[in-house]
Amino acid sequence: MIASDPCFLSVAEAAALIAAKRLSPVELVQAYLARIERLDSTLHAYVRVLHDEALTAARAAEAEIAAGRHRGPLHGIPIGLKDIYDTAGVATEGGSKLCLGRVPSTDATTARLLKQAGAILLGKLTTWEFAIGGTAFDTPFPPARNPWNPERDPAGSSSGSGAAVAAGLCAMAMGSDTGGSIRWPAAWCGLAGLKPTYGRVSRAGIMPLSFSLDHAGPLTWTVEDAAIVLRAIAGHDPRDPASADRPVPGYRASLTSTDLKGVRLGIARAMFERDCPTSGPMGKAFDTAVEVLRGLDAAITEIELPPLALYNATASLITRSEGFAIHEKTLRERPQDYGALARDRLTIGAYIRASDMVQAMRRRLMLVEATEAAMAGFDAILLPTCPDAAPPLGELGPYFDNRRPMYMRPFNLTGQPALSLCNGFDDSGLPLSLQIVGRHFDEATVLRIGHAYERATPWRKRRPPL
Amino acid sequence: MADSIEDPFAVETELLGLKPLPGQEANLRAAYAVLREALALVGADYPFEAEPAHVFAPAPGAERRR
Repeated sequence: MIASDPCFLSVAEAAALIAAKRLSPVELVQAYLARIERLDSTLHAYVRVLHDEALTAARAAEAEIAAGRHRGPLHGIPIGLKDIYDTAGVATEGGSKLCLGRVPSTDATTARLLKQAGAILLGKLTTWEFAIGGTAFDTPFPPARNPWNPERDPAGSSSGSGAAVAAGLCAMAMGSDTGGSIRWPAAWCGLAGLKPTYGRVSRAGIMPLSFSLDHAGPLTWTVEDAAIVLRAIAGHDPRDPASADRPVPGYRASLTSTDLKGVRLGIARAMFERDCPTSGPMGKAFDTAVEVLRGLDAAITEIELPPLALYNATASLITRSEGFAIHEKTLRERPQDYGALARDRLTIGAYIRASDMVQAMRRRLMLVEATEAAMAGFDAILLPTCPDAAPPLGELGPYFDNRRPMYMRPFNLTGQPALSLCNGFDDSGLPLSLQIVGRHFDEATVLRIGHAYERATPWRKRRPPL
Repeated sequence: MADSIEDPFAVETELLGLKPLPGQEANLRAAYAVLREALALVGADYPFEAEPAHVFAPAPGAERRR
């Protein structure tokens, strides 16, 4: 099935076939459009499909490649963008009634870079309202569903991005991650989801939620695909004040070694056994993954990090404060136009005093320093992405962040690169997850570990039963 | 009542000029309780000289502009 259906090719596989002129970008786009037509009325991954525009772009790509002007591995690859990424001339509505009909005049920097690399935009993808609203039924667009079981939640806030890539409705998608919103849908939809280092990828032209915690990054079927995309979107952008002016390595080149000799990994066991215990299947899958990584010659011991609750409380205060600052005017003037979840989650930021925010930023620096100190002697941290597999759609509580915290937010706070990847399946066929967290600006090592693990396991051979 | 979160919530809501929509107040009260837990965890007893995190990298040329 995977070999014969072009919608199930990885980006790397499709790129190789396109470069060899054995796969037509037009045929590839047509295959995705047909699959979207067949499946998206169930999955609701897209809020807008750019049928004609995608075909026009595919014909142009095909002509360019035929004329010998091949731009690289994303040329002719069909992609989706979370509907908080500005796209010139194409509505970008953030999943909210407040933004219906909003048409930006310029592309987000990442959208522009992907276009320059030759990627073809298939459409805009479902998002939680303003990337915070949760799985909601009172916003203009229905919530995306999990392709592994449409009665289950795909997670968010990049919900459509996760659902679309897992279902084979695009080859890769961009998401945003303020508290886990790339890694979480990657985890529940069985994908690779990369939150790069803070500053590595521009957020210019992406609707903000929390300036100091927002990250942009890809959701892909494989880790290799994430490396390909990161190479295209990383780099300094004067439009983003947090953008770092650092060299961008060739990430794919770091994936050549088949073992992990010399790589030192620290298991953050207290986080997922003491602070917020995982489900049985998630814990068992994690232990199995550790043995696989040991078999690849990684040196693995335990690492002690500050308590998960402290990271989460700190990140929560910062997100709520920054989010309220962004939305205060509209929350006061048009509260009825928000969905209830987004309205409540943003309004609570009003109750955080300025001095509370400063204390949170003081705590943040302490946590960054403590994490760095704990990482001395380690190349990366290992832990699950989430405690559990996907629950039924709509069962996430309104204020779940402090009640059953995920293991992702600490690394928004520290700004470290973090990758979620598929770590097998539970008895009901839902994906389990593994998270690899690296040192600042060392995405190459994170990708190397993830790629080696992926190649040593059979998880990429299974697709959702659609 | 002094230990209840209801009084400070009501007082702060009024001071902030917030007007919860019908049905919203119960949600905000629940969120407020979670917020208080987060504030207690983060704390306020820091050394005088403790710096906050400064997350934004300086833009190129910022040094020259100063």
